[in-house]
Amino acid sequence: MIKKVQELAKEYFVNEKVDVIFGLREKNNHVAPHIFKKVEELDNLVVSPKYPLLYNCRPSKKNIIRLIEEKYPNIKIGVIAKGCDKRALIELAKREQIDMKNIEILGVACSREEAIECRCPRPYPNNLLIGEKVEGVFEDKSVEDLLNKSLSERLAFWQYQLSKCIKCYGCRNACPLCFCQDCAMEQEEWSKTGEIPPEIPMFQFIRFYHLADRCIECGECEKACPMDIPLLTISKQVRRDVKELFNYESGLDIKQKSPLLTTLDETPMKEGVNK
Amino acid sequence: MFEPKILGFCCNWCAYAGADLAGINRNQYPPNIRIIRVMCSGTIDPLYIMKAFQKGTDGVFIGGCHIGDCHYQNGNHRAKKRVAVVKKILSYLGIDPRRVRLEWVSAAEGQKFAQVMNDFVAEIKRLGPNPLKKRFKA
Repeated sequence: MIKKVQELAKEYFVNEKVDVIFGLREKNNHVAPHIFKKVEELDNLVVSPKYPLLYNCRPSKKNIIRLIEEKYPNIKIGVIAKGCDKRALIELAKREQIDMKNIEILGVACSREEAIECRCPRPYPNNLLIGEKVEGVFEDKSVEDLLNKSLSERLAFWQYQLSKCIKCYGCRNACPLCFCQDCAMEQEEWSKTGEIPPEIPMFQFIRFYHLADRCIECGECEKACPMDIPLLTISKQVRRDVKELFNYESGLDIKQKSPLLTTLDETPMKEGVNK
Repeated sequence: MFEPKILGFCCNWCAYAGADLAGINRNQYPPNIRIIRVMCSGTIDPLYIMKAFQKGTDGVFIGGCHIGDCHYQNGNHRAKKRVAVVKKILSYLGIDPRRVRLEWVSAAEGQKFAQVMNDFVAEIKRLGPNPLKKRFKA
């Protein structure tokens, strides 16, 4: 599997389809994103273990592809993208954070085991080049548990979970789609600064709402959280709701605009979904 | 007796004028609502709604123009979509989504404004105080 990815990447290089390859590299038993500039380097290319490719780098708050594009506008970038990376790329391009015209996507499928580990419903990109489509995970125990709770139980549950928050901003920093230059989570008027835990549930609500129409269910927020707050539970369910309300799924089609930015004539809303 | 505090965001062109008309016509409605005039229901950031609950408001009312009558063409379309999503998130966090109400009230509907207020205040009284308020007093 990994040999095939390396071969394909080398082929892209040799045929000059791309100038650089952006993917994961293994070095000294560590995996990290790397920009491959030479063919020989590609022997260290890996696809697992999973590591986020498209988080926004501090302090510029721009993702790596955007930084490359800004510095070298004419360079062709090949991206080794798994399902979630591809969805992130599409959402970022839709929101004008990156330019897709210089990007060549090498789609790689995840294995069933990886899909189960990530609770991913769509563990393959839609332009799959290497690997086979495996079935995603659609049933999620944490979501079912939450939905089976009454309102007061949910409140108590989140009161406990969110009181663990140490306000490290890990969820936001790991998220490929949290790219705002002025983040509402840092602003005094929304959530008081200098308090731990931050206001419950205001602090996390900011992300839940802002990601309602863009969450791609990569689960990086939850993986990044040092206090193990189940952040993906709400984002997952809200994504399902957005699909039910507007028949819209983020990260699939670059031409499809977010329903929260369009009028009711452009994307109608299904009535009677709210309980 | 529990007297709820309700925050109302009313759009300048319809709902606020409707509230004004309710006053002029002397239509009676409970004094539990505090109205904030905004230019359009589309300006209401969902964070305002959450922050209101965080600060202890028992209910949030949002008044806008009827669909198709928006002074800014389609501001109320956005408000409708956002409120639908916010209600969902609030329900998962354990806040009753009925505490948020979005209504279309035109400038000529003073009677309707009073009616909606009576309804909403009665509903909030039934639901009881905002659960976030209780937790933070301790």
